[in-house]
Amino acid sequence: MDLKEVKELIELVSEKGFAEFEIEHEGFRLHISRFKEPPVVQAAPTPVILSGPLSVSTETVAPVPTPVSQAAPVSAPPTKAETSQPESLHIITSPIVGTFYRSASPNSEPFVRVGERVEHDSVVCIIEAMKLMNEIQAETSGEVIKIYVENGQPVEFGQPLFGIKV
Amino acid sequence: MFKKILIANRGEIATRIIWACKELGIPTVAVYSEADRNSLHVRFADEAICIGPAPSAKSYLNIPAIISAAEITNVDAIHPGYGFLAENAYFAEVCEACNIKFIGPRTESIKLMGDKAQARAAMKAVGMPITPGYEGIIEDEEEATRIAAKVGYPVIIKASAGGGGRGMRIVRNQEELLAALPAAQREAEVAFSNSAVYIEKYIEVARHIEIQVLGDEFGNVVHLGERECSIQRRHQKLIEESPSPALTPALRKEMGEAAVKACKEIGYISAGTMEFLLDANKNYYFMEMNTRIQVEHPVTEMVTNTDLVREQILIADGCRIEFEQRDIVFNGHAIECRINAESPTTYAPSPGLITTLNLPGGPGVRVDTAAYPGWVVPPHYDSLIAKLIVHHRSRDLAIARMHRALEAFIVEGIETSIPLHQRILADADFQKGNLSTRFMERFIPTKAARNSEQKASAAE
Repeated sequence: MDLKEVKELIELVSEKGFAEFEIEHEGFRLHISRFKEPPVVQAAPTPVILSGPLSVSTETVAPVPTPVSQAAPVSAPPTKAETSQPESLHIITSPIVGTFYRSASPNSEPFVRVGERVEHDSVVCIIEAMKLMNEIQAETSGEVIKIYVENGQPVEFGQPLFGIKV
Repeated sequence: MFKKILIANRGEIATRIIWACKELGIPTVAVYSEADRNSLHVRFADEAICIGPAPSAKSYLNIPAIISAAEITNVDAIHPGYGFLAENAYFAEVCEACNIKFIGPRTESIKLMGDKAQARAAMKAVGMPITPGYEGIIEDEEEATRIAAKVGYPVIIKASAGGGGRGMRIVRNQEELLAALPAAQREAEVAFSNSAVYIEKYIEVARHIEIQVLGDEFGNVVHLGERECSIQRRHQKLIEESPSPALTPALRKEMGEAAVKACKEIGYISAGTMEFLLDANKNYYFMEMNTRIQVEHPVTEMVTNTDLVREQILIADGCRIEFEQRDIVFNGHAIECRINAESPTTYAPSPGLITTLNLPGGPGVRVDTAAYPGWVVPPHYDSLIAKLIVHHRSRDLAIARMHRALEAFIVEGIETSIPLHQRILADADFQKGNLSTRFMERFIPTKAARNSEQKASAAE
C-alpha cells in the first residue's frame, strides 16, 4: 500500500464520517480512528506520524536482508494498544540503536523461541552496533509470548523486542 | 552529492538543516531523544531514529547511538548543527573512521581552536592581534607591576583555575594593583583551592564583533562580513545584527581580510566564525574561533543573500565555493532576536505546553523555529524556541520592523523573552547603536521582581 492509497483511504474515512476503520492487506495493517491519540510508531524505514482530529497509525513490515516467505508469520512493530495485552506482558525494549539478530550467527539456533522460558540473565538476542555484537539479557523471568521484530531488522532505542509473560 | 544526511541535533537548527537538504534534494534522517518524539524535526525528516532517553548525555551526546543510527539508515554524511557534538573533535574522528563525512572543518582545526591558549598562539603567529596578556602565573608584586606597565592599564587580574568573577579584579593603576593582587589571590584560594592568578589587558568598553568565514577543500576562503553580538547576558547572546553600527567599510575590509588570511594559514574548511573584541578606539583583538555554524547565522544570510548551511553541505561534498570575495555584496541591515522560553524579567526557565503560537510574517521577516501550537517545550535542553530575524534597508527601518514583528509574535502557555526584546529595542542606547558587552547590565533582575514572581507562582 503506497502513500497515495493511504491518502485516499483517509479521505474516504473522513468523507463518510467513520469513527474507526481498519484494513489488513498483504502484511500491511492500517488503522484509522477519529479524535484519538496517535499511537507510538516505531522506527520503520518510513515512519508516518500524523496528528490532528484524524489520527492514523500505519505499520509496515520492515525489509529484512534474509527473504521472508509469504507463509511465514509477519511481525510488525506493535502499537501501544497492541503491547498493553490483557495478560500484561513485560516488554523487553532495545537499550541501544542497532541491528537485531535472533541468533549468535547466521547458522546457529535462535537464542529464544516463542513459548520458551527465560531467566534474568538469559541472552535473548544480539544487537549489533558499530560492528560490536551486544548480547541483550532478558532481565526478567517468564515465558516468551511475542517477538516483535524480525531477524536483521534495524532497531532504535526503546523499541519493543519481546513480550514476556512474567 | 550525498545520498542521505543524518542531522545530529534537535530543535530549530535541526529543522534548518532539513530545509537546506530538501532544497538540495537530499533525504534526511533525524535522531531524537524520547523527550523529542513529537518534535518538528522528527516530523519533517524522511526517517527518524530514537537514540535514547531525554538526558543529552544519553541521547544527543551519545556518540555510539548516533553512529549506530547513521549505520542502520545508511547515511553518508552527518551534520552536527551547533552545540552538542558540533565541536567534538573525537566525534569528527569517529565519523571519518566510519566513512561518514562530517559536515564541518577538519578534525585538526576543531582541536586547534578548541584549546583557547593554542588558538591564541596560532593566531598570534599569523599576525592576528590578540588580547594583550601575559600567559604566565604572577609570582610576586614586582613581576605584576612590570607586566601591567608593559600591557598598559587598565588590567584585569584573573584566577587561573576558574572564573565566574571570582579571583577577578580590575585595576587602573599601580596602587590599585598592589592592593588587589593579594585580595584576588586569597579569593582564588578560597574558591578554587588555587591562588594562581595572571594579568591581561582589560578592555573597558568592548563590543563583540564576529566575522563569518567559509572555506573549501581547495584552499579558497571568503568572509561574509561581521555580526555584532554585544547584547549578551551571562555570555548568552540575546540580539545579534549585521552590519555592526561600529564598523566602517575600511575596518570591515581589514578585519575580514585578517580572518581570511588566518583561515588560509590553518587550512580552514567549511563555515566558521572568528570572534573579536573591539575596544573604544576601534582596535580589534582576537578572542576565539567557533568551528561550526552558529545560532545567529541568519543575519549574515539576509545581508549577503546566501544559504550558509547549503554552502556547508556543498563544501563537504567537495565543491568549490561558487562565489569570490568580490561577489559578496552587503545589502541592508538584519537583526535577530533569540526567543527563549523564559521569564522576561527574572530569566527563570519556562518549559511547558504552547497553547497558542502566532508567527509574524510580512515583508523582510524570517522565523527559524521548531515550535508549533501543542508542542511541549521540554525542560531538558536549552531554552531557545525560535529565532526572529528581520531585514530592511537601514538599521532604523530594521528596528521598526523588528518591533512590529515582535508585537505579532504571540506565544501562550509559556513565558518568553519577547517583552525583554521589546524593552531592549526601545532603549535609547540601542537605537543609537551605542552597544557594548555591558549593555545588559541595565536589565539585571531586581530582587523585587524576583520576589513578586515567586509569590505569583506560589499562589497558582
